[in-house]
Amino acid sequence: MGLFGWLSTWSTNRKVTQLEMQLQARPTPGLYVQLAAAYDEAGNPQKAYQVLKTGASRFPNAVELNKLYAEAEKREREAEKIRLQQRIQTHPNPILYARLAELYKLSGEMDKVISVCEAGIRAFPKYGGTYLVLGQIYLERKDLAQAREKLEKAIELDKYNYMALKLLAQVYMDLNMPAEAAKKLEDILYFAPGDEAILGLLKKAKESAGMAEPAEEAPAGAMPPGRGRAAAPSSGVPRGTTTITGRKTIVAAGRPAALGAPPAQAGRAVTARDRLLGEGIARLRAVEGVTGALLVDSYGLVVAAELDPSIDEGLAGALITNVYRTTSQNAQKMGVGAFEDGLIEGDGGNIHLLLLDDLILAVFASKTVRLGLLEKSIREFAAAVSGAR
Amino acid sequence: MKNILNKLNKTQGVRGSMVVNRDGIIVASDFAVDVDEGAIGAVSSSILGALEAALKRVGLGRFQRFVIGGSENRIALIDAGPSLLLVLLANDVNLGMVSVELKEAADAIRQKATL
Repeated sequence: MGLFGWLSTWSTNRKVTQLEMQLQARPTPGLYVQLAAAYDEAGNPQKAYQVLKTGASRFPNAVELNKLYAEAEKREREAEKIRLQQRIQTHPNPILYARLAELYKLSGEMDKVISVCEAGIRAFPKYGGTYLVLGQIYLERKDLAQAREKLEKAIELDKYNYMALKLLAQVYMDLNMPAEAAKKLEDILYFAPGDEAILGLLKKAKESAGMAEPAEEAPAGAMPPGRGRAAAPSSGVPRGTTTITGRKTIVAAGRPAALGAPPAQAGRAVTARDRLLGEGIARLRAVEGVTGALLVDSYGLVVAAELDPSIDEGLAGALITNVYRTTSQNAQKMGVGAFEDGLIEGDGGNIHLLLLDDLILAVFASKTVRLGLLEKSIREFAAAVSGAR
Repeated sequence: MKNILNKLNKTQGVRGSMVVNRDGIIVASDFAVDVDEGAIGAVSSSILGALEAALKRVGLGRFQRFVIGGSENRIALIDAGPSLLLVLLANDVNLGMVSVELKEAADAIRQKATL
């Protein structure tokens, strides 16, 4: 780099630092715009996008800032589509298909959504997230028969999926099957008791079906969703670390394979990413005082898990997703900004939560766990996941 | 109640606090920064429902505390008997240091509420 280039970089970096300090002291829409422009100038469009995103969420009525954010979001979406297509070619995993389909959906390219989902289902037929996206599209298109089929499949693969259960209830209502809709909504209340939106829908469904008023909360002894449909984990049998690629069991850290796990999905090897996530979760589980760890994706599906055999991983995933959804939706209102992490303390143990891009990590620990050691292990896991993207 | 919150708010890193009942209705509030107290109270109730369900179903007992870390601040929701203590904290606060004050305040609120 010549002297001019060096001076130019120095000047841009200095501008970024100064603007960041000014923003910290007194944020204004104009400062967000200037900082984003400075990052663009410094050749960091992703950071510029992040700055505009933060600014727009903070100042939703600032016209210029929100216009720039919308433009940057569109550019970022197009770039992300290319990145995902490349990753699918080199390191395929089912979440990539679901995310790519979501991006096409946001751009209104519905035919592409369907073709990406169908390709995803062919490659990873045991992943519920792609059926969920497809079901949502068919519902929007009012193709109720297809929507019902895809959403029922999504729930067959993950009986605790909040969004799939809610959408399927809507399909049943549209098909004039309110009693079935009520059952699905009651299933949600098992892991999301007191969810006002669901209670409201349940009330309507029960009224249409001529059933009694819903209880305010799922009773303590309530049956889990899909009563009898899914086998409970066999007690005392180590389940190993399971991952979403066809719910295969990764033999991690010398643990035995799950005896009760379904057979591996034909035609797909365990990907390097699956292995990395599975091994990372197993390493977290090995920390003294940690009683379990699990990774959930943005569709509420369990990506990898190492839990006590007495805990149903699907249910644990649904509960964690419910806490995350409720908290992250309200974090801004509570004055904390965007949700990053959380620590839930019960009198019998703790749950550590961490948002890793579009994955949620939950680590279950006893009260005696050494927090410093656990935090170090979580940081290492986060770095490994981030490096694998 | 207000005195307990005033005292707590003098702790370094504490930006304000409030007491709500389990339905999210504000009992007392004291914030040094501009926040939507009504919204915080209302959402605390739905968050509490999700937390209690999660702890119960995975066998981790009764809810004690939830600390949320965000891009701007942290917030702690602490069980205080029939009420919840909500404390807005600076992001760089030393949680270990402030935990004693949070517990003392929650105990005092619990005691006052059960008198």
